[in-house]
Amino acid sequence: MNSLAEYSVISAILFALGLVGFVSRRNLIIIFLSTELMFQGIVLNVVTYARLHGNTDGQAFGLFMLVIAAVEAGLALGMIVLIYRRRGTLDAEAWSFMRG
Amino acid sequence: MTSETAYLLYFAFALGGAGVYFLLPRGAETRPTVGALFGAGSLIALLLVLSTRVITPDHTTYYFYLFSTLAIASAVRVITHPRPVYSALYFILVVVSVAALLVLLEAEFLAVAAIIVYAGAIMVTYLFVIMLAQQSSTPHYDSRSREPLLAVMIGFILMAAIATRAADITTSHTATNQSRPHAASPVMLVTDSATDESLAGNDKAKPVGNTLLVAASIMTRYVVVLEIAGVLLLVSMVGAIALSRKRVPMEGYRPAVTPLGQIGKEVEPF
Repeated sequence: MNSLAEYSVISAILFALGLVGFVSRRNLIIIFLSTELMFQGIVLNVVTYARLHGNTDGQAFGLFMLVIAAVEAGLALGMIVLIYRRRGTLDAEAWSFMRG
Repeated sequence: MTSETAYLLYFAFALGGAGVYFLLPRGAETRPTVGALFGAGSLIALLLVLSTRVITPDHTTYYFYLFSTLAIASAVRVITHPRPVYSALYFILVVVSVAALLVLLEAEFLAVAAIIVYAGAIMVTYLFVIMLAQQSSTPHYDSRSREPLLAVMIGFILMAAIATRAADITTSHTATNQSRPHAASPVMLVTDSATDESLAGNDKAKPVGNTLLVAASIMTRYVVVLEIAGVLLLVSMVGAIALSRKRVPMEGYRPAVTPLGQIGKEVEPF
């Protein structure tokens, strides 16, 4: 049996890789794929801590995070299709004129 | 975590950062072989760090190494592959590997649910959108990343911070929990919840399945959260239908039958 610290190290790596992809890629679809990658890291971390404390609360939260991921994917992909139809490109830089 | 393993972990992260930097698409300056070499070195160093922390090696240890290596390598390919279809396929590999790690953590129900929801539903939607928006050749925005050096530095410094801190917390908790025998037992018990007596009180020696425990947790303690999740799904479904129902004209494209100024007004907003 491994110690649980290794699982949290793996989840931190997955989360940070998702962050790198989110910041550096320009394709809108890959940006949202990177957020899903971050979700995977968080689910792994939450379940690790549930195992650590010996209860199932973390697994319940993991299930709710699956719901959030599904909601996010549905809405975000609908918006991506709209954006693609309007501009004909998936480049995030094509919308750089939108400044706060 | 001792300082030697921490420095070895930082070394592995530095190697991995260099690998991801060389692998990220930067036009003609991309060096895939150099990046793959750095990445392989980083993975070997990471496995060295992790192998120092094994309490008693058994068959789950090798499964852990196999699936964590697979998860990290395919996660790197997700963020570095220039073609979105391959990124989505590699992401399915990440989901399957993470599900295997969840099985090793004795969260079987969540693992199967993740495979069904992610690999079965979400990724099919992604693939449909990628096919809808596909272009014949690799467009320029896929072969050039935005500020790769800065992104890799920020991401890997964050990775090192989270990893060492989480490993410290997990280690100290494991040390304190060893006095409580049931916390490390293979069958997880709901320790401090209201369902504890009702579930485990019937027959303490009988092993309780993971699905039963998760269901008891969701249906008793988190039943309000469950309702809110259902409402959220409904709202997002309505929102997705409302988004995709509206006709959006392409820029520069004027249909012959619709007079100017009437574009986008054919559908009444609701």
